[in-house]
Parts: sequence; structure tokens; C-alpha cells
Amino acid sequence: MKKLFFLLFLPLIFTSCIEIIDDISINSDGSGNFKYVVNLSDSKLKVNSILALDSLDGKKVPSIEEIKNIVAEYQDKLEQKEGISNVKVETDYVNFILKFQCDFKSVNDLQNAIKEIAIEKDRKQELKEMQENWLSWDGSKLIRSVPTLTTETTQKLKKEEADALKMGTYTSITRFDRLIDKVENPKATLSKSNLACMIKTNPHALIQNLSILENTIYLTNTKKPQ
Amino acid sequence: MKNNIFFILFSLVFLINTNINAQLSEDFIPKDAVTVFSINNIALLKKVSMDELIQYDFMTEVQAELFDGSTSGKSLKDSGIDFDQKLNVFYGKNQDYEVAGFSFGINDKMKLFTVFDDFERQETQIKGIELYSSYFNHLIIKGNIGMVLRVDPTYEKISVLTDSIWMARGYGYFYDGYDNSYDEKLIEPDDEEEESMKEDGNFQEEEIFEETEEMLDSISSENLNDFDLMNKNYWEMRDSITNELQYDYFVKILDEIYLNNIHLKNNDEKFASQLLHESDGIFYLDNSRNFNNAKGLWYFQSIMPELYTDFQQLYTGNVMLGDIMLNENSVDIYFEANYGESLGTIYEKLNGTKFDKNVLKYIHQNSTGFFTYNINLKEGYNQAYDIIIPILSQEKDPRVSSNVLMAELINEFVDVDAVFDTYKGSMFGSFNGIKKVKTTKIEFFYDEETFEYGEKEIQGEEDMPIFTLGFSTNRSDIPEKVLNHFGRMTSRFKNMGTYWIIEDAIFNSVPLYIISNNDLLIFTNDEDLAKNHNAGYGSQSLKGPKAKAAKKSKFMYAYFDWGLALNNLPKEMFDTKQNEILDAMRGKSGVIELKSSKTTKEKTSFDVSYKFEGDFENSGKYLLDLVNSIYVLSK
Repeated sequence: MKKLFFLLFLPLIFTSCIEIIDDISINSDGSGNFKYVVNLSDSKLKVNSILALDSLDGKKVPSIEEIKNIVAEYQDKLEQKEGISNVKVETDYVNFILKFQCDFKSVNDLQNAIKEIAIEKDRKQELKEMQENWLSWDGSKLIRSVPTLTTETTQKLKKEEADALKMGTYTSITRFDRLIDKVENPKATLSKSNLACMIKTNPHALIQNLSILENTIYLTNTKKPQ
Repeated sequence: MKNNIFFILFSLVFLINTNINAQLSEDFIPKDAVTVFSINNIALLKKVSMDELIQYDFMTEVQAELFDGSTSGKSLKDSGIDFDQKLNVFYGKNQDYEVAGFSFGINDKMKLFTVFDDFERQETQIKGIELYSSYFNHLIIKGNIGMVLRVDPTYEKISVLTDSIWMARGYGYFYDGYDNSYDEKLIEPDDEEEESMKEDGNFQEEEIFEETEEMLDSISSENLNDFDLMNKNYWEMRDSITNELQYDYFVKILDEIYLNNIHLKNNDEKFASQLLHESDGIFYLDNSRNFNNAKGLWYFQSIMPELYTDFQQLYTGNVMLGDIMLNENSVDIYFEANYGESLGTIYEKLNGTKFDKNVLKYIHQNSTGFFTYNINLKEGYNQAYDIIIPILSQEKDPRVSSNVLMAELINEFVDVDAVFDTYKGSMFGSFNGIKKVKTTKIEFFYDEETFEYGEKEIQGEEDMPIFTLGFSTNRSDIPEKVLNHFGRMTSRFKNMGTYWIIEDAIFNSVPLYIISNNDLLIFTNDEDLAKNHNAGYGSQSLKGPKAKAAKKSKFMYAYFDWGLALNNLPKEMFDTKQNEILDAMRGKSGVIELKSSKTTKEKTSFDVSYKFEGDFENSGKYLLDLVNSIYVLSK
């Protein structure tokens, strides 16, 4: 788990100008689609110069080939998980953009898949964070939060690295096939169509306060107009 | 009264004689030492006291190393080393063994053994010395001088001896069947293996220990005869030979120094004379012996001894000698590269060229650092050809002969003038600090209606060090041909009229500019230079004392303003602690300058000077501040 989140947040260590988008679409039956985009193109010079090194701060710097293998490994693992399908990973190693997406049968399937992979990578150790859920769907409302391990990983960043993250953006989007009735997080904005809700922050603020992304979204029964 | 006068006179004569005959730490450097760095503690410690020295961060590590990690209440002052004598660090290698160590004065032997606490007293036949050993390291004390010495036979020597004995016993050529793939597996165990290795670590250690105990028990005095010492396997025999050689060479060096008074100082006049310099430190590097002992030339020496001797003569006298001086506002390093006449004539021709004034046009007057390098490759090539080809031509070995023929044919068929007119050898480089450079980046934009997003390419900016590198040429048409070819092959090469641009050439992100003008071929990532100053900086180009110094310094000149560089480097590049240390240095200016003399047949002299101004007590203190800053930054 720790490794998985370390990998997800590895770019934060490498760079300041980072753009992250997490985008989840939920259908009325609980199935949906999850997208995760990491954009490091604003720091590609810095990333390229780091990749040219063998090690940084005593840690080995992976080569592009090794990064490709890690990405492919996670893609393979996720494809084999129950309730997960259409796993797609698009990588652009010129601009350093990674786009990931998959379909899921239920939010529980998505959560379980991520947890199982995390446990496999962390030598089958049970972690207390495995108990917690970050997504909960009951057909009329969705509760979203951020895993606490994310904070633990990112709090290890040096102050300067953490400060530099103020330059980045983190965008969390949640979409539905029914109109949104109301949202609890005051920072959330609704799209004009009322079918999507967005919270925009920066990675630094997110590290300081995970509740920024916490949200409970209530839906109406009105379906998306065709 | 008379008696008293006699006594005083006798004492004076005795004291003077004792001083004349007293040996110094520099008398205990083996003659095989090829590199020596000798620190004049007396002069140095006048500038920085021992109390100040031990306060530095980097000294913590030095002292931890000295006192086996326990520095509680101990400092360098408690080491028993006499800082009124020189400390000489040496390394050398000949075809039989490698020798490394240091010699120093001792003022308190008891305290010295708190540092060398794991050294045990050994018997020795040499009178007047005490010998202590710890594994392969030895400490030899004579009077108040100590020498730490390690001697290792060379790999080649061990191999030749072991293989010849092995084969003389009737075995064939020994091949250990080494499998590299096994190594790869060992280097990178996967996570699970690594974990199980950690878990099993203690168990395995115990198991090995028990096995060794059992084996030793079985070799008791009763059954020692059963353990056939004459039938050791290859590796056991190799270990025995290594140990034996190690001991033999160690005894040989001890005999040379302590019985026969043979050491580097009385074996090399140049070194002896260098030791007389009243500088804060001296260094000595005998390149001619490095050539003699070069590992790759061993085979060459055995197969083509005459040719080897000829080349050896070419390298005779190739010695580098230097002095380090800590002055009030500067640290100066003077060094001389000495060489024999044959090699000297090549260097003389190579370096005997006029300074290319055009390079000054492309160095900005406010440049943080730059270098100029003036050589005449064509003259150097011709001279080397005239000296080396006749030596090679005498050799009857078919491979050498065919290589000589090949070199002669290339010399005839290839337009040597065109080659050396294109690449004359002279070059320059400059560093113009950190600038924002334009890059492209991808940005995501959102549709307000649906929050669906798309991506667009926009221009971004990143900090980058700005470098320029230029080469003198008389044939700019030849690189133009190459650039035109690439311009036709790929859209990344663009001819902009007065300069060329290669898109995304640096780290796949930043363009590289090529300027071909004023008989120079220049590569730079400085957009301003390419677009606005491709004919040179004009009134903003380098002039005044720095330009004069560059012209005057014959084949090489370098300048770097460390103070300016530090002020121009964005603070965001460093963390808080690094910035705190750099802030201490930011108040002080520091300029490094390297000058060279005219190259003669005998030598080229160099002068490296580090001048500084600002708030500091003395140069020694300043230098230690600098060393400490670098140490903390690199931690």
C-alpha cells in the first residue's frame, strides 16, 4: 500500500509544477469509469535531468524502461482483478504525461482492486488503512475521501519540496448520469449541466488538509438528458 | 666555569648534530611512491588553530574514522600526532606491488595507540624500529616518526606465479568457469529474496561459523599430515602466494627504508628539491613511472620489449610538481608539468599557436566563468607523426607494422589540411549563469458545461544553466554541409539564416543553437546569443584585464567567479540548510583563475589562483569554511 501510494505520489517528489486529475464517473447501478492523469510537462526539463542521473539523494533513479515496466506490471495486475475491465494506460515520455483509466462494476470492486494490489506489493502485509473506504455509494449519494496513507507518504517530503507543490494543481472530478441535488464540500463547483462536480486545489494544500477533497454528493432522480 | 663553557659548547654541537641527522617524516616515503601529497602542518596550523579545526562539521567524520566511531571527548589533538612535522600521504605502484600509506611525526606514543588500538606488536629483525600490524596494515615507528604502510602484490604478479606453479604441478590452464549471470542475480535480489536473506542472515552466519569450527577441529595436530598442504586447490594456493608475496614485498620496503636508507627523497632529486619549498603543501606525481607500471602495457612490454623501451624513453622525465600556498587573500597552486625532450617537442608544437581573438567576441564581459584553450592540432599531429612513426616503423611485429602502414596511407590519402582546418583544436567555453529558457508544456482545459477536458500545447519557462562552447575553424563550409544534410533529413534542424536551431536537443526539451561565424563554430543554449549577437557581443564582449590575461596565458586560461555564480543561482535550487551555508559564503567573493605559461621542450607551468574578498579572518579559515560548505552540501 505504502509503495503504491509512493508510486502515485512519486512525481510530487520529482517536481513542483505538477498537474493531477482524478476523474470518476458513476452510473446509477454503481458501475463506472475511473481516470487518473499525471501531467509533468511543465517540469520536463527537470524530470529529464533527473532521469539522466543514476541516483538522487542516495536513491536509485529508475530509467524510462524501468518506469514502463512498472506501469505495465500494474496494468496487468489491475486487468486481472474482479470487476475491473478495459484497463488502458497512455504514456507520453516526451511530455511526461501518464493517463490511466479503467471501468469498474462497483465502487467496491475498484477499491478492492487497489487494496489487493497494494497488499501484493507490500509483501502481503495487512495494513490498518486496508480497513478504510474512500468511496461509498448507496444509489443516491456518493461519499469521497482521500486515503490517510497519502498524507503519511507526502509528509515525508522536505519542507522545500512541499512548498514547491503550491505551484501544482490537483483536480478531482466526479460525474453522474443523474442530476446532482447538492454537495457538502463548499469548495466544490458544479458543471452547468449539473451532472459533474469539481474540486480544484493544489497538491500542497491537499497534503496539509486531506479533508479538502472530502465530499458527499446527493443526487436527484432526474436522469441525464439524452 | 671552564667546565661549564665546555659543557654548553658540547651541548650545542650535540644539539646541532642531532638536528642535522634527525630524520623527518618525509624520509619515510618508499621509493616506489608515484604520488605524494605532503602537508606542511607547521605553516598551516599557524593560520588555523587546532581548536578551530576540530570544530568543523567535516572533522567529526575524520575523527570518527580515527577513533573507530567513538569521538566522545577525543579530537585530532588527542591522536598523538606531532603537528610540528609534515604529514606525507603517498601511493605508488610498480609491476610487482602497490604501496600506500602515510608518514607523520609522533609526540605521544600512548595517545597514538588510542587511534591505532587494533594494531598488535610484531617481532622484527630490524633494530631500532617498532612494528605493529592490523590485518594487512602496518605501523612502523622509528624514534618519533611513524609510517602507516600497506603493500599489496599486483593481480598480474599473483596470477603469473600461481598459474605457473599450478601448471608445473601437471594441471592445465585454470579456468574457474565464472558465470556472470549468477552475479546479476546476486546484485539485484527481488524484494522477497532480499527479505528472506535478511531473515535468514543470523542463521546462515551461525551455520558457517559452526562449519568452520568443525573443519578446524578436524585439522588437529594428529591428523595434520592427512591434510595435504601440497595439494591445495587453485584458490588456496593463490591465497598462500598472495600472503607470501605481501610479506616479502613488505620486508623489502622495510629493509630499503630502515636498513639501507633508500627512500623517495634520496632517490628522486626533483622530489627532494620540492620538499625544500616553504609552501603550505607540495605534491608530486611521477607520470613516467605511471607509464612504466600501466596495467595495459604489461603485455605490450613482454611481447614488444624494444618498442616499449622506446616509448618509455619518450615518457622519461614526465613529472608533475606543485606547491600550495595559503596567502592572506588567496590560495595559490603552482604546478609544473615536466617532460622529456621528445614529448616536449610535440607539446611545444601543439601549444605553439596564436590566441584566436575571435573567441573574445562571444564571451560576455559579465560572464560568470569561461575558458580558452589554444592548440594547433595540425602542428602537433605532424610532430607526433615525425616522432612516433619512426619508432613504430622499427618494430617487426606484423600487427604494429600493418598499423604503421595504415597510418601512413591515411596520412597520404586523407586531406590532412582539410581535417585540421575544420577542427583546429582551439576552443572556448563560457557559463552565463541561470536563465529562463522556453519550453513547451501541455495544459488541460475544462468545458464549463460538462467539466470534460482537453489538452493544448502552450509555452512554458524553466530555469537552465546557460553554456556556450565554440571551436576555431577555417572551414566553416564543412560543418554547414553536415547541418544542411540533417536539415533535409529532419524538421528538428532549422536554418534560421544567421544561425541554426536544433529543436528539443537538450533533454528532449530545450533547443540548441549553432552559430557559424567569424571562423568559429559555436554551440549554445543561449537564445539571446544566437538571435541577437551571432556576430559577437560587440561593446559588451570581454575586454580589459580578463581579456588580456586570456590572451597572455598561452595555451590555457580559465576564470570562474564563484561569488557571482552564487549570487545568480536561484535560492529555490537549494533547501533551507543549504541556503544557510551558502548565505555564509554569499557575503564573500571568490574568483578562480587558471593561467599557463608558454610550453617549452622541458615544461609547461600552471598557476591556479583562488582570490577572495569579504569578511574572513585569514585564507586558511576561508578555505576551511569553503571545504566545510561543500562537505555539508554533499551530505
